[in-house]
Amino acid sequence: MDPVEADVGEELEALIQFMYLAPVGLAQTDLDGEISMANPLSAQLLMPLSRNGELTNLYTALEGVAPDLRHLVAAFKPESGMVCQAMQLQISAGVRGKSDPKMMSLTLIKLDATQLMAVLTDVTQQVKRERLLRQNEAWFHAVFTGITDYALVRLDRLGRVDAWNESIGRVTGFDAAAVVGQPYSVFYPDEATTPDRLLDRLHEATENGWSLDEGWRSRADGTRYRGSALISPLQERPGTPLPGPSPAGDDDEISYCLVIRDITDKREASERMRLTHASDHLTGIANRRTFFEAAEIELTRWRRQPRPLSLVLLDADHFKAVNDQHGHAAGDAVLRDLAATLTASFRDVDVVARVGGEEFAVLLPSTAAAAALAVADRALAAISARHVEFDGARIAYSVSGGVAAMDEGVTGLDALMKRADEALCVAKKAGRNRIAIWEPR
Amino acid sequence: MNELLSPAFGQSDLPVRLQKMDASELNTLEFGVIGFDADTHVSRYNNHESKMTALSPQRVLGKPLFTDVAICMNNFLVAQRFEDAAAEGSALDATIDYVLTLRMRPAKVKLRLLAEPGATVRYVLVLRPS
Repeated sequence: MDPVEADVGEELEALIQFMYLAPVGLAQTDLDGEISMANPLSAQLLMPLSRNGELTNLYTALEGVAPDLRHLVAAFKPESGMVCQAMQLQISAGVRGKSDPKMMSLTLIKLDATQLMAVLTDVTQQVKRERLLRQNEAWFHAVFTGITDYALVRLDRLGRVDAWNESIGRVTGFDAAAVVGQPYSVFYPDEATTPDRLLDRLHEATENGWSLDEGWRSRADGTRYRGSALISPLQERPGTPLPGPSPAGDDDEISYCLVIRDITDKREASERMRLTHASDHLTGIANRRTFFEAAEIELTRWRRQPRPLSLVLLDADHFKAVNDQHGHAAGDAVLRDLAATLTASFRDVDVVARVGGEEFAVLLPSTAAAAALAVADRALAAISARHVEFDGARIAYSVSGGVAAMDEGVTGLDALMKRADEALCVAKKAGRNRIAIWEPR
Repeated sequence: MNELLSPAFGQSDLPVRLQKMDASELNTLEFGVIGFDADTHVSRYNNHESKMTALSPQRVLGKPLFTDVAICMNNFLVAQRFEDAAAEGSALDATIDYVLTLRMRPAKVKLRLLAEPGATVRYVLVLRPS
């Protein structure tokens, strides 16, 4: 008799094979993430991410791509239920023309006071389609909701306001003299956009039919509000010239319509939804996924029209020692303080994100490496002046950073991040608490 | 046990010896043996492997290895290395640390990946440290 047949009943064997072949990753863990059961697909997805080559703890295995899982679970108070549903994790940036950015979806269900079930799926293909869908939704949202509360602005081909109407005054508080002939950045706070970005949006509107962004806007009196800005071209025809300086006489070829809405009221409900997906749970700044999305858009713009673009990678020095000496809660307080200090040090238009456990990334559009280094050095100085008060202890901390700028030799986001990481290693080796700039070897 | 009868997991002449062993000889080995052909269909599956996974050979033989049998190995750490070796026409003999989900329990194992250019059967050997 076949020993296996004697060992395991036919049905049990079929059930095991069913689990082996399940096309989604399943893992059962305790609340500390220790894995008790896992099926092969979860090993297939998790093993390439695991830094220590082990598969004993889910949080550890996913640390590089979802550093805040432990917090997410700890912050979930009910006895049982959905901790997170289909949270998308960015696994890799992808290589342009070769492979798509790799995305994984994670659902965590709390089964009871001691157990979690994790469901993992490779959603690389779905994500592309979803992005488009989300943009469409945002567009409908912008156009059809709260239609009483908008400013309608006509822009010329260079993004300058070319006519006045009452709605502009109602929403922004400006008068005609202050805005006509000015680029539409007049509606944005300082450092919330750049001249390059201004033209990027016009170009994207020409190309896609529309361009939408949400963020801070400023009124005539300097006060800020959350606004959405939808730009669409008013004339579209084949061979339309691209935005940017053009030979004299072409200036009337194309114009744009800009719709600005004050979304302050709507913000709370919808923003919270958006933020849970876009933000890091612990620090509240952009998460890894938001960073990769923003960076991919910036790289697309760079390829269309190269201009300075810099990346700063930062890593908290001796962070393990902080955790060991003062406990994880103190380490968390340091990370929050670090995130807040970084956010205050960089411009609104820069994307400040937590991309790993104690790793942060800042993307600086329209900024050359030397200027990025100067800002990063200022952030470094601000950080070294800080202390975190925790449980009676005064914890000082520092960071090291690496700066890299986009150029023709950089094939994509992964390559740019690799350069910044090399510079970061140089800074670490040189004694930490400093920023290094990438240099070819 | 006699060394000549039962070669060890790390033995250097194992690739040659495996090709000569019949099914009953494979069943005497103290580690898992999965043999698969050029199309990745499983052609050999020994008792030890069968016991570890709790799958009898008839459920596995003839199935594509990386999509229907050992999907946990379908990534750049394992499957890709066989593909690369086949594309380059080079030999593969690598031992790596890995985690398999044997009966859904994650277990640390050593995998030995074997492919000889021109050989009809390629092997994944699985050693579970006791």
